[in-house]
Formats: sequence, structure tokens, C-alpha cells
Amino acid sequence: MRKTTLVFTVLVITSLILSACGGLGAPAQAADKLQEVKNRGVLLVSTDPAYPPQSELVENATRASNTKCASDQRTGDELRGFDIDASKEIAKRLGVEACFVTPSWDLITAGGWADRWDISVGSMTVTPERMEKLLFTQPYYTTPAAFFVHQDNTTFTQPSDLSGKTIGACTGCTYDFYLAGTLQIPGEEMNYVVQNPNFKGYETDLNALQDLALGDGTRLDAVLTAQPTGAGSIADGMPLKQLGEPVYFEYLAAALDKASIKTSIPLAQEVSKIIQAMHEDGTLLKLSEQYYGLDLTSAAGDFDLSQLKQW
Amino acid sequence: MAVYTLKPFGPMRTDPDQSMGERLMAIERRAKLMHTLQVALVWVALVIILGFALALLNFDLQYVLEHFQFVLQGAWYTIGISLASIFFATILALLGALGKLSKNSIAQGISSFYVSIFRGTPLLIQIYIIYLGLPQMGRQFTVLGYPQIGQLFILNELQSGILALSLNYGAYMTEIFRAGIQSISFGQHEAAAAIGMSSVQTNRRVILPQAVRVIIPDIGNQFIAMQKDSALVSVMGIWELTFRANRLARQESKFIEMLLLAALLYWILTIISSWLEGRLERRMAHAYER
Repeated sequence: MRKTTLVFTVLVITSLILSACGGLGAPAQAADKLQEVKNRGVLLVSTDPAYPPQSELVENATRASNTKCASDQRTGDELRGFDIDASKEIAKRLGVEACFVTPSWDLITAGGWADRWDISVGSMTVTPERMEKLLFTQPYYTTPAAFFVHQDNTTFTQPSDLSGKTIGACTGCTYDFYLAGTLQIPGEEMNYVVQNPNFKGYETDLNALQDLALGDGTRLDAVLTAQPTGAGSIADGMPLKQLGEPVYFEYLAAALDKASIKTSIPLAQEVSKIIQAMHEDGTLLKLSEQYYGLDLTSAAGDFDLSQLKQW
Repeated sequence: MAVYTLKPFGPMRTDPDQSMGERLMAIERRAKLMHTLQVALVWVALVIILGFALALLNFDLQYVLEHFQFVLQGAWYTIGISLASIFFATILALLGALGKLSKNSIAQGISSFYVSIFRGTPLLIQIYIIYLGLPQMGRQFTVLGYPQIGQLFILNELQSGILALSLNYGAYMTEIFRAGIQSISFGQHEAAAAIGMSSVQTNRRVILPQAVRVIIPDIGNQFIAMQKDSALVSVMGIWELTFRANRLARQESKFIEMLLLAALLYWILTIISSWLEGRLERRMAHAYER
């Protein structure tokens, strides 16, 4: 027994010494997140490849041999989509390489990232609740939110017909808050056209659309989701149709952690400048037309970031 | 251990009942084989029925074949995470069981609290708390000026996943180990004490070797359950079976295809591990064969 205790003690002491040495060997301390990213030469971006065409994985992609990404990070070649291309462009203009990690959406929006990644370029809607934990950059595009119903349905002609009906949407996302009548989008006046819906929550929008596709009123009467998401499902052959005009627009921005050890504000400001430049030179518009076939970006360029009073 | 049997009297006399015994054994073997064949036949019939049921689904086989390779690569993560976790869980369970059975009130308190808290809360929530919550504790150390200690609290997704699975399954397996140890009759303790063994010696040389035989099938059972529960670590972005299948399903809305593919791969994994577990079990039972 005494021998085991001794061995254990030695192990603990050695590991403590080793970890202390690791701290000493680190390069010159960066003052903030922007400096840290530039020193590292890598911008670590979180994205959940569950949301085509914004972000999806690429099968059997080969990693570039000269990549700076760590082995548990994904290189730009292993993912694709609107968000991925936007991230790569942002990193390029920062003069670094974009590497990706893929935690689930819940973990990204929870904040408190423990510096595991620097920024989320994940089509995140700017909301007051999220602003408590996260810093938002200049929005890089907008998403119109629209109701979708089953193709066979003839009784609904406009969104307000859906009052009191069973409506599905992702839990905890802005569609959930809109249906509950509590959604606030900075810089936009909300108009709640659907009264007292019977809300049914799903893990993601696509699960809700799947349930709606089972039949008109089988499980759901309608789904509230992003117009491009619904349109994409219809293009994939789901028997659905859009009901009326979009009910509101979301501003989608990159987000940074407020609780990072080194302040993220300079990085957020720098990325905002880059995104504004990408609006002005038409880079984002081109990406939007490539992935969505329509202009979802122009309104985002006019968004006044200073009204959020983040810094 | 050598076995000494009584030699027959006289020079090389054969047993007169030997041929009858051999015939009886052959009949028994035949019956066993027939039984195995019948069970296999039932399996084949059930697989065919299941196949027909699945054929009623709107199923795109082409999509599955195209993406099979990519999803299969995730199996390495599933196997690796499960193996690492069952290893640590076994250590935790052994310590937990010894604690639960000890007369020391502190050891008993710690291990019963551990079992209660980790068996009584959902694994998914434990994963979230370890991944999200621990770094927030570590942050306090960093702010206080001990970044080295703070860093220890920031586990990456693999470490968090293995820690959560180990702690959760360790709690379940503590009870399995406890039951296994208690299944050894108390007379053995008394006999060991009578020849002057200390309690550590008794456990190491007498009780645990016998208890292991009882415990092994249950560990195998837990390992099978763990392979499937390891799907939960996909929330942290580990590209294992479920993550790959799920993300591919969303690319072209092929949910049924990808979910069934993942289910099939998990099934094959567990068939392999239950076969291995059966072999291990037979090996451990060697001393008890008759």
C-alpha cells in the first residue's frame, strides 16, 4: 500500500511540474483575441454542418498538407456552404487560415466557449437574449421567415389563417419565440399575425418539415422556418408550399464570446469592418446568389451595428 | 492444474460401455447442431420479414451505398470512445464497489453519493455540464491568476465525452461489481482469514478472481449499451457514426436511409462485441466446466 501511495504522489507532483513548465514555454502573451488570432495564424470558427446550404460536410475530403489546423479541427476543404465560404473570406482578410470545429447549435448559443473557438459564423440571428452572452458583428445576410403548409391544403390563404392551428418549429430558435409572441429583433418592428398557435417544438426545422410532409394536418398544420430552408426542402421533393409573404426578417451575424479570457471586442470590430467591406465590394451578394439564387445580403449591409451599443 | 484419474486395473483393458457412451455423445451433438440450425433458420426468416417491412419504406438504397464508406469511418470513434470509457468505468466501478462494501463511513459515503448522483441524472445533461460547466469553474482559477489550474478544467470534446461516459457507466457498474463481490459466499472470507490473509489479500487473491467471472457478462452488457449511448457525444461535434449519418441525412433529406444505416452499423458492432464477450465468458468459466 505504501508503495502505491508513493508512486501516486510522484505522479501527481510530476504532472504539476510539467503543466507549470508548459505555461512558461508559451509565446509572448497577446493582449486581446485579435492579437491572439494573428499570432496563431488560425481563426477557429464554430459551425454545425447540419444546416445545408449554410454549412454541410464534404465526404472524403483531403486535408491540405500545409494546413495549420490541429488534428481535431476541420480544414476549409472538409466543409462547404454559405457560412463556410464567408468564414474563409473573413479569415483571408484577417491574414490567417480558417479552421473549423463542429459543436451542436445549443453549445454555440450557450456562450461560455472557454476559448475552444474564436468566433461563430453560423447564421445566428441577433437577439437581445443572445446579446447577454455574445458579441455580434455586422450582419452578413438576412433570412426571411415564412410559413409553409402541405401542398394539399386549400383552406389557408394567408399566415393569419393559422391562428389556433398546430404549428411546428425548432425549439429555442427565433421561430419558437415569434410563435410565442416574445421575439424581439433589434432594429425591426414585430407584427404577430398568428394568434394562439398550438406550438410543437422540434430539434431542428428539418424535423418539423418532415412531420408536415407526412400529410396536411397529420401531425402539423404548418411550419414556420427560414424561407431558404423551406424552399430547399421543396426542391428536394417534399410536398409543401409557402404560405404568403415572409412574416419577418432576421439579421444574421457572426458571434463572439463575451466570457473569453482575453477580450473579443477588437476582433469583433475588425470582423465587422471586414464584413462591411464584403458587402460593399459585392463578395457577399455573389455568395448569396451562388447558394440561394437570390439577394439576401443587401439589407444586412444597411444594418446599423452601433444601435446595439456593444462597445 | 493436473488431473489425476484412477487407472483401470490390469493391462490396457477397455471400458465395455465405451462404444455406447460414444454413440450417446454423438446423438447429443447431433441434437445440439439441429437446435442451432433451427435457431439460425428463425433468424433468417425474421431478417427476411424485417427486410420486407423496410422495403415498404420509401428507401433510396443508392444513397446509402454512396455514403456508406463515409459513415463507416465514424465507427472508429464509436469503438475508441467506448473502449476507453469502459476501461475507466471498470476502474471506477471497482473502486466504487469496494467503497460501498467497506466499513469505512467516508469511503461508503463517497461511493454511495457518486452512484446516486451519476445514476440518477441523464447522461446527456452530464455531457453538457462537463463540456460547458467545468470550464466556467476553471475560469475562476484563471481569473485568480492560476491559468495552469484553469486549463485543467477545459476538456476537449473527446476528453469530455470519455469522462462523462466513464462516470455514468462507472456508477451503474458499481452496483454490478458490488453484487458480484457479494455473490461470493462469506465462508470464503472466513477461510481466508483462518489461514491468516489480510483483507487486501483476501480481496485480491480469493474474492475478486471469483467475482470477475460473475461480473464479466454484465460488463459485456454495459459495453454494448455504451456503444449506443456514445451517440450522445455527437452533440459536441465528434464525427462519430451518428454525427456523420445525421449530417448526411440533412444534406438531401434522406433521414430514413441514414438512420437505418447508422442503426445497422451499431447492430453489427454490438453483434461483434457480444460474440467477443461470449468467448471471454467461456474462458473465464474454464475452471467451472464439467
